[in-house]
Amino acid sequence: METGGHSKLSLTFLLLFGTVVALLLLLAWALRGPGKLTKSGAGSSALEANDRPHVNFLPHIRQALDISDYQFLAEKSPPVVQGRVRRERRDVALAYLSALRLEFDGLLRMARIIAGLSPEIVVVQEFERLRLTVKFMWRYELIRMKLRAGFAPLPQLDRLGDLISGLSVRLEIAVKELGERAALAAELASPRDRRGIGLV
Amino acid sequence: MRSLLQSVLWVWGISVVAQIIVFGLLFFRGHFRRIPAFTVYVASNILQAGVVLAIYYRFGYGSRTALVLSWSSQACILLLRILATMEVLYLVLGPYRGIWGLGWRVLAGTFGVLLLYAGIEAGRNVSWAIVLADRGSHLAFAAALVACLLLVRYYSIPVEPLYKVLLGCFCVYSCAAVLTNAVAYALSLRGFANDEPVWQLTTITAYVGVQIAWAVAFWKAAPAEESKPALIKSSIYRQLSPQINERLYVLNEQLNQLWRPGATRN
Repeated sequence: METGGHSKLSLTFLLLFGTVVALLLLLAWALRGPGKLTKSGAGSSALEANDRPHVNFLPHIRQALDISDYQFLAEKSPPVVQGRVRRERRDVALAYLSALRLEFDGLLRMARIIAGLSPEIVVVQEFERLRLTVKFMWRYELIRMKLRAGFAPLPQLDRLGDLISGLSVRLEIAVKELGERAALAAELASPRDRRGIGLV
Repeated sequence: MRSLLQSVLWVWGISVVAQIIVFGLLFFRGHFRRIPAFTVYVASNILQAGVVLAIYYRFGYGSRTALVLSWSSQACILLLRILATMEVLYLVLGPYRGIWGLGWRVLAGTFGVLLLYAGIEAGRNVSWAIVLADRGSHLAFAAALVACLLLVRYYSIPVEPLYKVLLGCFCVYSCAAVLTNAVAYALSLRGFANDEPVWQLTTITAYVGVQIAWAVAFWKAAPAEESKPALIKSSIYRQLSPQINERLYVLNEQLNQLWRPGATRN
């Protein structure tokens, strides 16, 4: 009985200790701050930032991964060259996947900024986005591992690129509209209240 | 009457002095205008120290009256701590009305659920009810605060260094209180004679650390700048958010097909 009581006590203590350590780690991560982007006014600058999307390089990637080139090499070149080409193709695909991830992160950041600056948000939609993000990240890691292992269906990356491209275009339009409205509101705001521009 | 160990009294004294310094900094550097609830919380802590000391001298340290009165005062302090935390969180999230709406729900939901659980646990073990309730309330408080701060991080909301220290120390203190409570509980069950002074010493020492961190933060804090973000129309959010989610959903489905080429969308 006593041994059982002690082991139960130890388990409770370990659980509490683990929970506290986890809370402290999460606290440190949450308070560390994401850097300069979060300073006031960063919202609009992040919205305006519009680098060339990586999906624009999709044709080049497609060419680099063309199966006919690889077949030609397989017939004409020694195994050493084939191996090198295979590694380089894999590196290109991995780099492309990483670039897509960066782009995906950028789009998500925009979505979060829009939510942050909105006077009302829909809780269900925010949680849904969080869920989708977790799912995406999980699958992204799986595909990356698959690519590293050397048996990912590379041509199917096209679809991923097309989708992100579509999302980029629609968000670009929305952000442009947002910028125009912000500029208009800044003009309308009274000179003594420039700090608190209220568009609502 | 059980006497407190001399060391506990010393640390308690240091803690009170540290609290008075923090209160002085709040008052003389003008922070109390920005954070009145926090100021009331610090002042109440000082007052509580005096009241509890008076109770111990009047009714005796081990008496039931002293136990009830001192833990009742602790419940009031917990309430004031929650109000002070809400105040600081409002200063951080208030300008972002949408996120604040989400934030206080997350805070209240997490705290409520965990506190309920702590209450049930305490109810099942009446002889240790106060200890378990205290531990549970600290754990609920820390978890709710971390949940809210994760939300702040997720939406990249800027937080003033002073507020980071205030909120961070609240959380660290609660975590320390949970651990010291658990250690003392375990020691007591194993028959360790001095479990109570050990618990008091470690808890008050942690609180002294928090007071020092707050004092440094208040000393260094620059005058606050009133800055409000330029909010957008709700219609923009309502228009974009579902579209983005739909795209993300489709994107996930595509990724699913990359992983399992046979899979199709439902």
